[in-house]
Amino acid sequence: MGFDIRSLWDIFALVGIVVALAPWFGRYLGRVYMDRPLAGDSLLLPLESAIYRLLGTSPRQSMRAREYMLALLGVNLGLIAFLFLFLLWQAALPGDPTGAPGLRWDLALHSAVSFTTNTNFTHFTNESQLSFASLTTAWPVAFFVSPATGLAVAAAMVRGFVRRDGTLGNFYVDMVRSLTRVLLPLAVLFALILVLLGVPQTFTAFVTAHPITGGTQTIYLGTVASFQSASLLGSNGGGYYAANMASPFANPSAVSDLFGTFVMMLIPFSTPFAFSTIVRRKGEAWPYLATVLIVFAVAVGVFIAYQAAANPLVSGIAAIGSQSNGYPVGQEVRFGLSDASLFQVASVYCNVGANNMQIGALSPIGQLDLLFGMFTQATPGGVGTGFGMLLLFGVLAIFVGGLMVGRTPEYLGKKIGTSHVRWAALAILVHPAIILVPTAVAFLGGFVSLAGLSPGASAHAFTSVLYEFTSEAANNGSALSAGQVNDTTPFFNLAGAAVMFLGRYVPIWAMLMIAELFAKEEALPPGPGTLKTTTVTYTLYLTLFLVIITALIFLPVMALGPLAQIVGGH
Amino acid sequence: MSGPSRPPAPPPALRWTTHVRAGAVFLVLAILLTGVAYPWVVTEVAQVIAPATANGSLLRCPNGTIVGSADIAQNLSAGKAGPGLFWARPSLTDYNTTLGAESPPGPSDPELLALLNETIAWMNAENATGNSSPNAVLPYWWVAPSASSVDPDLTPSAVLVQIPRVSANTNLSVAILMGLVNDHITEPPLPYLGVAFVNVLELDIALLALEGTC
Repeated sequence: MGFDIRSLWDIFALVGIVVALAPWFGRYLGRVYMDRPLAGDSLLLPLESAIYRLLGTSPRQSMRAREYMLALLGVNLGLIAFLFLFLLWQAALPGDPTGAPGLRWDLALHSAVSFTTNTNFTHFTNESQLSFASLTTAWPVAFFVSPATGLAVAAAMVRGFVRRDGTLGNFYVDMVRSLTRVLLPLAVLFALILVLLGVPQTFTAFVTAHPITGGTQTIYLGTVASFQSASLLGSNGGGYYAANMASPFANPSAVSDLFGTFVMMLIPFSTPFAFSTIVRRKGEAWPYLATVLIVFAVAVGVFIAYQAAANPLVSGIAAIGSQSNGYPVGQEVRFGLSDASLFQVASVYCNVGANNMQIGALSPIGQLDLLFGMFTQATPGGVGTGFGMLLLFGVLAIFVGGLMVGRTPEYLGKKIGTSHVRWAALAILVHPAIILVPTAVAFLGGFVSLAGLSPGASAHAFTSVLYEFTSEAANNGSALSAGQVNDTTPFFNLAGAAVMFLGRYVPIWAMLMIAELFAKEEALPPGPGTLKTTTVTYTLYLTLFLVIITALIFLPVMALGPLAQIVGGH
Repeated sequence: MSGPSRPPAPPPALRWTTHVRAGAVFLVLAILLTGVAYPWVVTEVAQVIAPATANGSLLRCPNGTIVGSADIAQNLSAGKAGPGLFWARPSLTDYNTTLGAESPPGPSDPELLALLNETIAWMNAENATGNSSPNAVLPYWWVAPSASSVDPDLTPSAVLVQIPRVSANTNLSVAILMGLVNDHITEPPLPYLGVAFVNVLELDIALLALEGTC
């Protein structure tokens, strides 16, 4: 067969680099949200103090969960309003070279909510529907504010374990430090590396070329490197081009593909160590990282195996030569099978949602694999909030485990009571509700019709709608976009906006409320009844707990879509 | 003191006017910093460190005409020159960059079968390999639509298979064309880091330069 096991060395090397950097970078990340001296202080502290004075707040003004949440909603709703008006009136800005008209109101709303909630699911074609300023200026603002919000939530949540006064920190200070210490410096560095790897970066919107076979061709250029760098770093996933990271401009080589994978994985894989730094217990990071790595490794392995397999539908075509070079439909030549697959799985499992292949053309198992990552949202999930979900799974697992073996459920010296569990369950159960209800409404309400489709095509169309709402609920942004489903209608715009909003802010609310409960408690010294959370047994238990809970919730719906494609589709 | 120490009293919440000001000022600063300063600084530096690729890797004929970009495929089978050129992968958007990218049908969808068969029938009608046998075997990567709809690259085998047709429609011998293709194979920078491929548009421009017609 054409698949050569040696071709996997580079993806092992990349994951190895990420895991080797994670403790070091995670420690830095943790110290950003502590009052500790940090590299760059001499330059950035005066700047930050000046910004706090402008904002009229200071790091000493620490907030409780309700106040933190309202401040967060204020900034996020402000950003939604800004983006909504910008997209609605993008044609009013003078001097735009693209001549793109303003977006229809429902599409502008869907897009504004999509960018702000870290989703970046798009219902438009960038090349013909967005103005140059929308692509260069408006959208990238969300690429920073939205992951900064995620990092702030994670910081606030983790502080709950080490505080006693019920407060979680100052939201505005956390936002400013996320930008000055993490997102902006890294985005600039990574954008320049992308430039060196061949990605365009210019204020020229497009060039008209005269192809050798006649006619003309519009070559869209612009601020591609700065756009993609921020998009991938902050688990956003929006693409400068409609083809996203499959575009040869956005992702010109196997090296840029691997580098993009690194940029996506860096923060999510390091966050467990930020946690262990803030709670001052070194060993507590490893069970989380190990859980993530186990699920992630299985996901990548399964994905590659099914990408390398021949498609039985195509085997019947005599004129097509060997299928041993992988599955080329909806794939780009230059990446190669293993690099392309690692990028795609990392993108969905880190809740980035960028694509370097067409997800709709994947094998059903490949699609199921990606869906599973969006169902958990925690292996490792998006910037900040992904680790927040993982902590919630941890809290639930300890509670259930404690009940099973008759031990007091407590974590890091803080007791876990029924109110904690109620909030954790809310965050985890809102997810299936906002996926399954709109999916059912879409079909029962006649917003999608399967009439006249073959069984294979209807299973594919069902998977496409399920995938869309799952992607929006998880704030992922990747799309399957089956040709049979038109999702640019007001129904998909408005339902999608609601799903993304709830999928983002309900879990955040639950995370902050749990954190406040912990922050009010006195920490107890570990006793003989304390469940040890740094053991191999606990790690395997947490992994199984996460996988089983997810499978129990979503198995029925998986059976209707991707599994039906496998069983009855051919 | 006996028992645990009393937790410190929580600070009072900020006034709502303070929140409005902090939120609004933060957003304005974020827009200026990340929406204006960030792309501007990166562009200024990019134009110095890598001007050619930062401006889109444009390909020009010796007379200065912009023919295209090395990164974006074109419809190379069209027009009078078409039969004498190497062709890129088929495009679901007909290489129209304004349309973005199209997703091919799903793997179990009969429409995928129809699409591939249609491409094969067209390639046979155009005698795409120059091998007049109607049962010519076509490399899968050449028949399958790409992810970006403008993939400029092909596997070496899918380029080599076109040599008989290109040779028959130009004055160039098979040996010369073999040499040309071999010169244009981009090998992975390290073993197995990506795959070997040929950029078809760059290959065609080199071919036209040989003929002196670019």
